[in-house]
Amino acid sequence: MHAHRNPDQDELAELALKRVVASGAEYGDIRLLDSTTQTIRGEDRRIASIRDAQDSGFGIRVLYHGAWGFAASSVLSLEEAPRVADLAIDIAKGSASLARERVKLADEPVHRDRIVTARRIDPFAVTLDKKTALLLETMESIHRQPGIVRSSASLWARRDRKLFVSTEGSRLEFDLLALSGDFDATAIHDGRFASRSFNTPHLRMGYELIDDANFLAVAPRIASEAVEKVKAPTTDPGQYDLVLDPEHLSLTMHESCGHPSELDRALGYEANYAGTSFLTTDTRGTFRYGSSHVNLVADNCEPETLAATGYDDDGVTCQQWDIVRDGIFVGYCTNREVAPKIGETRSRGSNRADSWSAVPIVRIANIGLEPGSATLDELLADVTRGIYIEGHGSYSIDQRRYNFQFGGDAFWLIENGRRTHMVRDVVYHGITPEFWGSCDGVADRSHRRRYGFITCGKGQPAQSGWMTHAASHARFRNVNVIGGQAGS
Amino acid sequence: MSTTSHKTWPKLTSQDEFRFLMELVLNRSTGDHTLVSLHDQQSGTTRFANNQIVQNVDMRRGSVSVTVAFGQRHGTASTTDFSAGKVQETVARATHIAERSPDDPEYLPPVKPQHYVTTPTSRPETALAGPARRLEYTSEAIGQCRMENLGAAGIVSSSMATVGVAASTGLFAHEARTDARFSLTVQTGDATGWSAAAHRSIDHLKVQERTLTAIDKAKRGLEVRELPPGRYTVILEPAAVAGLWYSLLWALDAKSYEKNTSALSGKLGRQIVDTRLTFRNVPAHEDLLGIGFTPDGLPTVASDWITDGVLTQLSYDRFTAKARGIDNIPTLDAPCLSASGLPPPTLQDMIKHTERAILVTNFWYIRTVNPTNLTLTGMTRDGTFLVENGAIVSAVKNFRFHESPLRVFNRIEASTNPTEAITSETGKLLVPAMTLSDFNFSSVTRF
Repeated sequence: MHAHRNPDQDELAELALKRVVASGAEYGDIRLLDSTTQTIRGEDRRIASIRDAQDSGFGIRVLYHGAWGFAASSVLSLEEAPRVADLAIDIAKGSASLARERVKLADEPVHRDRIVTARRIDPFAVTLDKKTALLLETMESIHRQPGIVRSSASLWARRDRKLFVSTEGSRLEFDLLALSGDFDATAIHDGRFASRSFNTPHLRMGYELIDDANFLAVAPRIASEAVEKVKAPTTDPGQYDLVLDPEHLSLTMHESCGHPSELDRALGYEANYAGTSFLTTDTRGTFRYGSSHVNLVADNCEPETLAATGYDDDGVTCQQWDIVRDGIFVGYCTNREVAPKIGETRSRGSNRADSWSAVPIVRIANIGLEPGSATLDELLADVTRGIYIEGHGSYSIDQRRYNFQFGGDAFWLIENGRRTHMVRDVVYHGITPEFWGSCDGVADRSHRRRYGFITCGKGQPAQSGWMTHAASHARFRNVNVIGGQAGS
Repeated sequence: MSTTSHKTWPKLTSQDEFRFLMELVLNRSTGDHTLVSLHDQQSGTTRFANNQIVQNVDMRRGSVSVTVAFGQRHGTASTTDFSAGKVQETVARATHIAERSPDDPEYLPPVKPQHYVTTPTSRPETALAGPARRLEYTSEAIGQCRMENLGAAGIVSSSMATVGVAASTGLFAHEARTDARFSLTVQTGDATGWSAAAHRSIDHLKVQERTLTAIDKAKRGLEVRELPPGRYTVILEPAAVAGLWYSLLWALDAKSYEKNTSALSGKLGRQIVDTRLTFRNVPAHEDLLGIGFTPDGLPTVASDWITDGVLTQLSYDRFTAKARGIDNIPTLDAPCLSASGLPPPTLQDMIKHTERAILVTNFWYIRTVNPTNLTLTGMTRDGTFLVENGAIVSAVKNFRFHESPLRVFNRIEASTNPTEAITSETGKLLVPAMTLSDFNFSSVTRF
């Protein structure tokens, strides 16, 4: 039991950072975070669980003689703060004993600011009755479709109240929201089963995201498509033109562009877990990543997106920059530690931790595909034999992000410029620069949609990264479709 | 720093303290049933890359979770603040949720008091290990790699947790659990070699031995050739077997089985893998990470899941188990796969007696492609070699595979005794290394 009085956050931060400064460390910061997460999960016409998790604590990061130490605790007390600060200092001294190259942080102005997510409807103020009724009605609607055997539906909301204070003088307060909802339907036919899903994007906004998604209007179509999918003919392996929807592209971009553009990976920091990158530092500015239609832009400033938090966990201002311009790889996601290693004078502000107990690491930014000029109909019209893919399915990629394979959630055959009928078991395979090199058209801004991830795994101990990826539909020529029966 | 600087650690929630917390919750709750869960952990990880430390972290997190139920309506709330006021507020939040929840036809009250067999879930040397011990192992791994002019990236971690579950039914369980891990990727040019370990005891990580293994693999990778995709005989090291086998475990879910949405539906009592394979749960095994009880408070049990290749058990939630009249729910916290009827060679013997095969250290990014027949895909990683005429002749560029464990584990040519295995995508298992025929590598990557 921890019978301590709950101290003022600034008092605790000051107490901790005073010890850091007194130790002779060149830098230190503290993040105090109080998170509330509500998860409502429905399964097969019932509400299986409602959970309200409160998670609070603080983490202290110390840079001593060019080496890092970090310690964290869920005990928010004036007795615990000095213990944790001293431990972080002690750990940093240990790190320094094995240091070969000193960490030198890129300069950043001192910031004092408060960031609040704009919302029309506070998701935590919406009654549980309303939320559970929505999920139950959605699942009932799904089960009215003959052939459906299973369903699920869920809502998720998170509020993070955070204080960041550094020894450089920055003081940043955050009150951030994030929200999402989803449901799916599973159908069975002839000994097979298949699922079709609907997901709102994860966005930083209020419950209006769920209201606007209109689950009850969409559910009958999702159920019907699950049945159509399980009965659909399988795909013949071969070369196909692909037209990919924005939700599907969000994953393709995330895995094949987002991760290789993380500078810490390119520098070997993730060699033992998430992997390295084929976008080595010598490729920046010259490597042809894709066709001239491919412009991938990092934008951590776009309102409502997951990485647009005003400042990252280095206390660096969120920014917008190019990752790929006219098909050429030009920029990385960075933090204050790694940016100087490639001669950059300022971090891109893409350093984030998934909780108070985790140390911030370089994270994929809100990387999006810049819109082109075509309409979706125009992209389809020029396809003789192809496949239109919506949503996420199975995915796998090597640790340097060359060899990938993606499935999807729903597939339609394109014949002579028209989307015809659903097919199943579509899996396409490629080598990243060859695949993006085959992109010959991107739809215009009116087709742009945003999707994101809150489960991007990286780091040891593993952390979940949050980011949003926006895209319009895009077309890729002669992609190798190997079919979901591969290997059987 | 001393090697065991335990005086710096805060004390984790003891059994008596958890009992006090439980009483605080139960006295406050007005629910028909109340369940209290504790997870209080002290953990640290030293992470290194390019032969120096890049992260060095230590964390203490305590969390208490309360589930309150009125009839079939239930709600759960949790907090990391153990003060009496916050714990009572957590009970109020769970109550608020439960009062507003619809009836859940599958809700079951907490289980009654259980008898637990004492499982050796914690080791004092791990509990007492701190940043200094992790630094010592890190220094050892980096030092060996530096001497060979190789790059080291990896982690050393240790943790201790006290875990408890208690309920208004009189249920009460509390135990300490320790966990220590080491993993290392050695790099030289494009070549990488890997080795990893997990154990309750930090003394059993075998850092020096595993470092030499990873170094050997990296050095063998300097000469690499590209082979075409196709079907090959493979020699899978235990980590690679673990990756494939672990994917099979998801298909054991009893509810999915009954709704015909599992690849194993209809196969209970039937042969699904080679008749020489047997799969068991062994919670008391000292090299596995067995636990004493589940989050529901049920005791973990030694159990048979696949016997002589025949599927004999499914993974039950409490509702499905009750519907099937199953009183003792089997657990899979300490899995062990073994092969009988084969003379157990060593891995080196298997290589020596192989005419031509691909030796796979580990698989990476294994995902289900077709859930109906459990076709998986994934990449080889950190040590893929060509074996010819009984010897490793070169490294090969990494392959992507498409295979189903339901197919490949029916094509066993040779198998070792079960060995410790852990990967970044699996829990810890005991599995053999295996030689399997006709393994489908569908494409090759560029390194």
